[in-house]
Amino acid sequence: MKRHGSLQRLKRLLIGLVVLGALGFLAVLGYAFWPTHTRAIAAPASAADAALIERGRYLALAGDCTACHTAPGGKPFAGGLALASPIGTIYSTNITPDRQTGIGGYGLDQFDRALRHGIRADGASLYPAMPFPSYARLTDEDVRALYAYFLHGVAPVAQADRSPDIPWPLSMRWPLALWRKTFAPNPDAVAFDPKRYPDERVARGAYLVQGAGHCGSCHTPRALTLQERALDESGAQYLAGNQIIDGWNAINLRGNPADGLGRWSEQDIVETLRTGRNPHAAVVGSPMADVTVHSMQHLADADLHAIAAYLKTLPPVSGPGPGFAANDATAKALQAGINDSRGAELYVDNCAGCHRTDAKGYSRVFPAIAGNPTVLAREPDSLVRLILGGSSMPATVAAPSALGMPGFGWRLGDAEVAALASYLRSQWGNQAPPVASGLVARIRAEMPGENHASEEAAHAR
Amino acid sequence: MPDDPSFTSRRRFLQWSAVAVPALAAAGAPASGQAPPADYRPAFFSASEWAFLRAAAARLIPADALGPGALEAGVPEFIDRQMATPWAEGRLWYMQGPFVPDAPPTLGWQMRLTPRDVYRLGIAAADGWTQDRHGRVFAELDAAAQDGVLQAFESGKARFEQVPAAIFFAMLLGNVREGFFSDPVHGGNRGLAGWKLIGFPGARADFMDWVERDVAYPLPPVSLSGQRG
Repeated sequence: MKRHGSLQRLKRLLIGLVVLGALGFLAVLGYAFWPTHTRAIAAPASAADAALIERGRYLALAGDCTACHTAPGGKPFAGGLALASPIGTIYSTNITPDRQTGIGGYGLDQFDRALRHGIRADGASLYPAMPFPSYARLTDEDVRALYAYFLHGVAPVAQADRSPDIPWPLSMRWPLALWRKTFAPNPDAVAFDPKRYPDERVARGAYLVQGAGHCGSCHTPRALTLQERALDESGAQYLAGNQIIDGWNAINLRGNPADGLGRWSEQDIVETLRTGRNPHAAVVGSPMADVTVHSMQHLADADLHAIAAYLKTLPPVSGPGPGFAANDATAKALQAGINDSRGAELYVDNCAGCHRTDAKGYSRVFPAIAGNPTVLAREPDSLVRLILGGSSMPATVAAPSALGMPGFGWRLGDAEVAALASYLRSQWGNQAPPVASGLVARIRAEMPGENHASEEAAHAR
Repeated sequence: MPDDPSFTSRRRFLQWSAVAVPALAAAGAPASGQAPPADYRPAFFSASEWAFLRAAAARLIPADALGPGALEAGVPEFIDRQMATPWAEGRLWYMQGPFVPDAPPTLGWQMRLTPRDVYRLGIAAADGWTQDRHGRVFAELDAAAQDGVLQAFESGKARFEQVPAAIFFAMLLGNVREGFFSDPVHGGNRGLAGWKLIGFPGARADFMDWVERDVAYPLPPVSLSGQRG
């Protein structure tokens, strides 16, 4: 009798759980499929107005739309660029005004829903590779300008969008709505308010950095659920860096004196965005080189200064981290011919010819290693990748020479790269944790080409 | 000459060396006087030619109190690998007549023979000449006798049939020097022996730290592959 009763209770419990689960699932589905209402915005007097189109063209540059929406060798804004995501490859879309394959049929509100809300014309949610959480900050006026540019200032290209290479069930789009509704801000809730900033210039910088520039997409760390930890300076992790983008570490843009921009002047930041280099540092790695070439170098001086002024208002990330306290002991030892560690030998034999024994390099030609944020970053991925494979400065209008550093992966083994990188991070006043050879091996394995030859050599040792 | 088999083995050798040379280079400098690995197998030279080349190299730059000689530094390997280059087949030169033996040196190579031919014919003639005079091939003579033979080649006192002894000797001496002082990536100058001997700092890009300081340059040489001497 008693056993029979407990079985009954178990059965009832199971049924209850199933019903609860089903109800929960229905609630999730309901949340996902519940349509998002968006405020309609007023159309401009004339969408083909030349000044409005020009304003849109400039904003499209500031937003580097071409970075994703133009494939290598492809027509401008026709899409098709492959973007690796954790669940498979997705392809950017055609945003030319072609009516069949592009966005030629989009009305202003449909355009706005895609841009600021992350919702396609058919109601499905966009993959958050599209930085709509940042574009949510754009003003109505700027949305109108971008619409005018993409519909009247861009040549239509007939090129069908490519479906993502994501297997079912991960390819279902409705879960994207959950992400969007949970993490993407409502544009009206984050409408840009210049009064939050000390002056007009800083406000303009904040608007460009948070909105069109979407700097945080790479430079702000992301949570496990992949949303940026902050979308403006109200979050202490905003632009705190250490996201790895295509293998390169997006540096901390906050005021940290070692791994951030704390010791950079406003002019240093402006020069970096305009020319890819400044008197003591340079753009490292392909992602920021592309941003410099396609986007930042084309902005007006006043806007670059505004961006720099805003970045200089961000306080350092608090807590322990990499440090820098200029110290000439290392330079003095090297200049006396003292190479008292494998790291010192490797530096003198491989690096000092250009970066010099004082690690100050040659201004605007070979970046300094002392106090360099790329060297001192918490995650040393960029430094290791740079040593293994080299990098070139972007060729910009103002500084066309694409000065490059060769890769040393063919002549240095994993342990040697680790010893060298650890040396760089601990000398001339640099204070950052050492680099393990396991990390070097992992990064080398990700890299194509000749870097693997030396891996064989390293194994043969 | 047996071009096809040697070509195949040369290819195999080059493939092998692409991996092994950086590895050997990175393994660090061998101690002074240490012999090169015995397992190098020449691709161009036959066993008897190889014996001549090793013996001659060891006399032209002998190991002594100053350090390893050409043999220890891998010079025979360098020359064997040199035989696989376009230079060794005369492809860098104008190789058609007229050939004027007493033309001034500025007018270039004045023989139909390529460097490969000079070695092949020259070593055969050298061993033949030595056999006639001493009853043994060059490699089997003692050092003093070898020096005498080499002097006879250099001065032209020795007469070879197909290639003048002095031309053969000059090419051999030149290539031995090249092997001793070239970057180790080419097989010679093993352990950076040549560069250490003369104080050459190797593939270092910059010396600004040492300009106008009136001190001896203290750093050892470094090779293209990053090996420190």
